[in-house]
This record gives sequence, C-alpha cells and structure tokens, in this order.
Amino acid sequence: MNPAVSFPANAYSYTIATFRALAEAIVPFTPSMAEYGAEQTAGAVQLHVHEYIIWELDHSLTLAVGFYPEVVPLAYSTAALLNSGASQMVASVNAQFAPSNGTVPHVPFAALSPADRVRTLSRLERLEVDLRALPPPFRNDGGLVKFIVDYLNRAVMFGNYSEWPAYGTTRLETPTRRRLEGFPVGWKQAGYPGVSLGYRALRGYPLTIIREDGGYTIV
Amino acid sequence: MYDADVIVIGSGGGGAVAAKELGELGLKVLVLEAGPFYGNSKWRNPNAERGSEWSSSFDDLDIGTYKKIYSRYENDMNDVVSGAFRFGPADRSRTPWHRVMRQKGDIWQLAGVGGTTQHYWAQSPRAFPSAVDGVWPISYSELIPYYEKAEATLPVQFAPTTPKEELFYYGAKKAGWSLLPTLDVTTPGYRPNPNAILRTNERLMDPNYSMEQLNNMEGCTLQGHCVNGCTSGPSVDKIAKRGTLVSYIPLALKTGNVAIRPNSFTIKIITDRDPKEGLRAAGVRFRDTWTGEVGELTARAVVMAAGCIESPRLWFNSELPYNYWVGRGLTNHCFDWVGGVFDEKDLMSIMGLPAVYPYMGHTSGARVDIPGIGIFQVSCLSPGLMSFLTYGFSEAGYDALNPPEPGAPWNVRGRTVGPALKELMMNYSRTMTYLLLTDDETLARNRVEVDPILKDENGPIPVVHYMPSAKTLQRRDRLARYACETLKLAGAKTIIRSDTPFSFMLHLESTMRMGHVVDTNCEAYQVKRLFIADNSVHYNGIGGPNPTLTTQALATRTSEKLAQRYFS
Repeated sequence: MNPAVSFPANAYSYTIATFRALAEAIVPFTPSMAEYGAEQTAGAVQLHVHEYIIWELDHSLTLAVGFYPEVVPLAYSTAALLNSGASQMVASVNAQFAPSNGTVPHVPFAALSPADRVRTLSRLERLEVDLRALPPPFRNDGGLVKFIVDYLNRAVMFGNYSEWPAYGTTRLETPTRRRLEGFPVGWKQAGYPGVSLGYRALRGYPLTIIREDGGYTIV
Repeated sequence: MYDADVIVIGSGGGGAVAAKELGELGLKVLVLEAGPFYGNSKWRNPNAERGSEWSSSFDDLDIGTYKKIYSRYENDMNDVVSGAFRFGPADRSRTPWHRVMRQKGDIWQLAGVGGTTQHYWAQSPRAFPSAVDGVWPISYSELIPYYEKAEATLPVQFAPTTPKEELFYYGAKKAGWSLLPTLDVTTPGYRPNPNAILRTNERLMDPNYSMEQLNNMEGCTLQGHCVNGCTSGPSVDKIAKRGTLVSYIPLALKTGNVAIRPNSFTIKIITDRDPKEGLRAAGVRFRDTWTGEVGELTARAVVMAAGCIESPRLWFNSELPYNYWVGRGLTNHCFDWVGGVFDEKDLMSIMGLPAVYPYMGHTSGARVDIPGIGIFQVSCLSPGLMSFLTYGFSEAGYDALNPPEPGAPWNVRGRTVGPALKELMMNYSRTMTYLLLTDDETLARNRVEVDPILKDENGPIPVVHYMPSAKTLQRRDRLARYACETLKLAGAKTIIRSDTPFSFMLHLESTMRMGHVVDTNCEAYQVKRLFIADNSVHYNGIGGPNPTLTTQALATRTSEKLAQRYFS
C-alpha cells in the first residue's frame, strides 16, 4: 500500500492534529494573498508539511537500548510536549481556546488560536513551564525542550519552502524512492526558478590570482 | 606484518589531504570513511546497497554516478535527517547518527568521502595573522608555504562577481571599506572570497554553447549549488567546486598508494607499548555500517581526521590516556545571519537588474574582513534553506513577541511566522543575506564529551556544549551592526537579524588543540605515532576566517613531519 495514502491511518490522529496546528501557525493558509497569484494562498497544511514533521521526528534517532540499536520515534512525544505546553499556558495566563476549534477536544494545542500557539512555543523555549509536568523524554530536560521547539520552527519552513511537497504520493517513502511529481509550490511562492545547470550571470572579476614559477601575484 | 604504513581515519577536509600527501611521499595508505562514496563505480547505488569494500584506482571514479546522486535539490541533498548530505550511514532508510545538544542549534557535518566539504561553500581564506602570531605554538610564516601548496592544489581563486556580489560591493564601498588585494589580511576591508572553485567557464557568456554543454565542460557555470552539490564538470576530478571528494581524493587515488574504504566507522584506536617509544598507535578497529561486522587493521602510524566531534569521541571511546584538553576549547565562530529586502526600482538604479538573484553564482562570493572582530560574507541559498536560516532559527525567539527597540539597525530580530513570513518569502529573489563569522574566544568549558549512558552502534555518543563568552557576543553584535549598515547603505528597505542560535555548528575547531593535546607536528603527546589532521588541532578559531584551508595547510605539513619522523 502506498505509504502516502496509509500514513494518516497509521499515525495517531492526536499527533496529526497537533502538527497540523503547528504547521498552520507558522506558514498559514492565506486566501487574501490570492491577489499575488493563486500559489500564494497555500499554507504548510495544504502542502502536507505536518506529515513531513512527523516523518522526520520518527526517523531521526537510534539508540542502543539494551543489546541492539533501536529507532526511537519522537513525533508522539513531541506532540504531547506541545499539548502540555498549551494546557499549562491556558491554566496560567489569559489565553483561551478558540471556540471554532472545539472539534479537537483532546488536543489543546490545536484548540488555541494560531497566535496563542506561537505564544505556547515561546513559553516552552523560554522554559516558562513546569518542566516536571512535561512528558518524557522532555521531562526535566530544558535543553532538549529548547532544541526541539527551535527545530520545529525551522523544520516547518524547510518542509514548506524546499521541494519536499512536490514528492507528492511518494513523499513519505524512504528518500531514495521519492520522485518529483511537479514543480514545488514553495519554490513558486518564493520566485525560485528551480535547480539549474548554470547562469550566464558573470559581471567581472575584481581580483585574480596568477600562479607562475612556484609563486603567485594578485592583479 | 602491517596492513599499511599509515591508516587515515576520515576523508573530509583534512583526511583526504593527508592521504594524498602521504601517498605522494610513497607511503602505503588506507583510508577509513564512515559514510558513503559518491561518484564511484564500485558503489552505483550507494544509499541503498552495500556495494564493494575498497576503492584504490582513479579509474573507479564515475561522473555518471556522481551526477545521479548530486540532484541539486535542497531537501534531497541537505535534509539533516534523511538527505544525501548528513552525518549518518550511507543507507538512507536508517536514521542519522545522533549527537546530544541540550540547547538550540544544529550540527552541519557530513559523513562520506569528502566529508563536510561536499556541501561547504569552498571559502578558502588563510587565518588572520594576528590570531596566530604570538598565540599559536607555531608562527604564521611557518604556515605560509603550506597555504601556498594547498591553494595551488585545490586551486583557490578569487570569486567572480554576479549580481549579489555587485550589490554587496556597492554597500561595502558606501560604508567606507576599501578593497584588500591580498591573501594575508592585516587590516579591515572588502574583497572577493578566495574560493576553492575553478574559474568561470570562458564560454559561459557565449550563447553558441548550451547550458547542457557548459555543464559538462571544465569551469564554474555559476549554477548556485555550492551548498546543494555542485555538478559543473566533465569528470569527478574536474568538478568546479573543489571539495576534497573531487580534488584531493582523485589525486590520492592517482598515486597508486592509497585505498579508501567507505561505510566503515572507526570505533577504536588500537595501541601497544613499545619499550623505547612508550604508548603508541598500532592500528584501528572499525565497524562495517551495512553488515555490522567488526574488522581490524594495523599500521605503523595512524592519522585521525574524524572532525572536531568524532576525534575526541574516538579518543574517549578508545580509552586513551586522560588529558584535560581532549574535547575542550571548542570554538565555532558564533555565527549570525542578516538579510536585506530590496525594492525593484532601487536594484534597477544600482545594477540595471530587477532582482538580487540569490540563486546565481558562488553560494558566497564576497566578504568584509575585520581582524579582531570577524567577517561578514554575502551568502545566498535556495529558498528552503534561506527561509529557515533567515526567519526560523533564532536565539531571540519571535520578533512579533519581542520587537526590536526603536533605532536598532534592524527592523526584525528573531523568527517571523504567520502571514508576515509568507509576505517576506515572496520577496526571496530581492533579498540578500549575509553569514557573519565571529572571532570566537576559546574557552575550556566549551567542549565535546561522551554521554555516560547513551550509546549507538558505534559506542557512547558525543555530547556538545557551547556557550560563547561575553567578549565573543560583543564582537558578534558589532559585526551585526556593521553588516546591517552596509545593507542599509545599499538601499535595503527591510533588514532582518536572525540572531542565529549560538550552537549552529558549521566551523567547529580546536577540540584537540596544538600545544595541549598534540605537539607542533600534530602528533599526540601521550600516544606516539598518532597524528591528528582535522580542524580540532587549531589552537583557536583563527580569528574568524573559514577554517578549511588552514586545516588543509596543516594536514600537508603534518604529513611531511610524519613521513620524516617515522619513514625517512
């Protein structure tokens, strides 16, 4: 079965809802930007970048636990970190769950407005949380919390603005089996023409090293 | 009696140089490399199949295999988890090898023949003399002949001007910096980067030659893929960007004295005790990354060039003698990253062009050098990499939650997310970005050690700690102000300072320092016949310049010293 099709059924909907909410907060769907071109409306969720984050987190760590090295998946526990951060923020400051997001009752992070999700990330990376209440492996490990929260930001951006979404139905295959199925939307959004063989862009040389007789001069 | 004269551990910026130099001196050399060998007919599917064990012939190099792997696509190549360029096993269905870092940041190191030079930007400046003389145990003039040899071998040439360099020079001149026509920088000023990139193809501007033709000829085509894998060239040894995979490795194979075994992670340095010499290196134990089989090889000397993290890790995991400085003194140029967004009409009036074209030319082609403070260099990347470095990677948190104070030389500091990010990214082609390299103070507390509990298949895993000094941070802040000033004078309308995480590890240096762990010949004080030939032997961060050329000069010198001492 094609993993791109089976992926949502295999992953916890909790995890998917959490990372959809993350992707949406960082690179949102913006219908108002249609005036700059239809491709400018798509956000990271439309490009399935939440699936990229889950894939990366679940394929990033192997440790020798006992006698054999084992893969340690991190997507579920990282989703739990974001949800713990969201619950703690709502309990301690004046944030509210957005009423329109009430359809995800057990995913507090997704129930926040995008701005409050960003505030949650900010509080987590500043360690303005009860570290004892976080899920493992983040419990009492503020350094790891800082690392992962920063990572989540840049990973959403790299997923969105690299060619990854264009791997289409092969996007969740092992990397050597991914195939491009179109021109990447994020590259269109950025106005990047794609990979190249070269550009006729030479505009001169301010300095040149000339080597002769075992020495060199600069002209 | 021995399997080789010398075993070299690692084939990156330093190890490949040692292999070539020792091979040319007539020594029999075996090179062990943890990652894959790209561009070699013995490994046609290097990321999916084990392939052969050894390559020892120049004729094994294969441009077809090389260009198939080097797709130039940024996620395929540079994803730190799953890319062709990562620190992990060749088998891309497996996870990368982990390092523990309990702070924001990331480590850009690659396993594979050529090591991190596969995606480095080929900047090859010499150290600032003021950071060496009176500071290192050897003088700058001692390094000069070796700099010249490495520069001629790679070769190093000043970068050409493309639109982004033209705009950079425009701002630098307006800010009052003057041109420095030198390789030995003692005063501040601007210059094109001395890059290990072949001169631009002379036919590039001739429309009678198609881009397909030009890409299969010798010379740079300004394709803009230094970071995502250069493909300009007719054969592996003539690829335009001179990472060691395409420069020193082909020369090493040409000697007929060097054999390279990729997919082989060195897990232990084997020693014996000689009545006269004392403790000395006698060989290595390694693990095949495909089969898990462990092998041993013996030699009369060992050169460790596994990089600033793995060299100390290997020392610890081999249980070599205690030395306080092993792993300590880590420097990293405490980077920052700034960007400027330009209006089309301003670019038209300056250059007669509507954009910066950040995707054309050398990834980084020009710099301002400021001895005592650092460097800022124009550095432009493909959109995925550029978006996260400019807008998503920060020590400062979110700009919207903590906006810059009025009068600051930047409009944005820290991450930008939401609709504002999308609007900025629409201006990608009119955005010029700089990498800032700080003269980083060397501190014993900044270090690599091994985790007391966590292990992978290669043993206890490294833990990296890095927190810059107040002096380093002051220099970094001054550098950011200088850099943003040139962007402003060039006409940038929005200026972004990312405030890059301190632990974004690109230029790791000085974890096995000369004078502390190794002597002035780069031989370990406590283990005879064990030499080190990577960035870790640098005494400091060389004042800020990109470290690879200094490692290559030293590796050239170390090879000469090793041969004189044990093989003359």
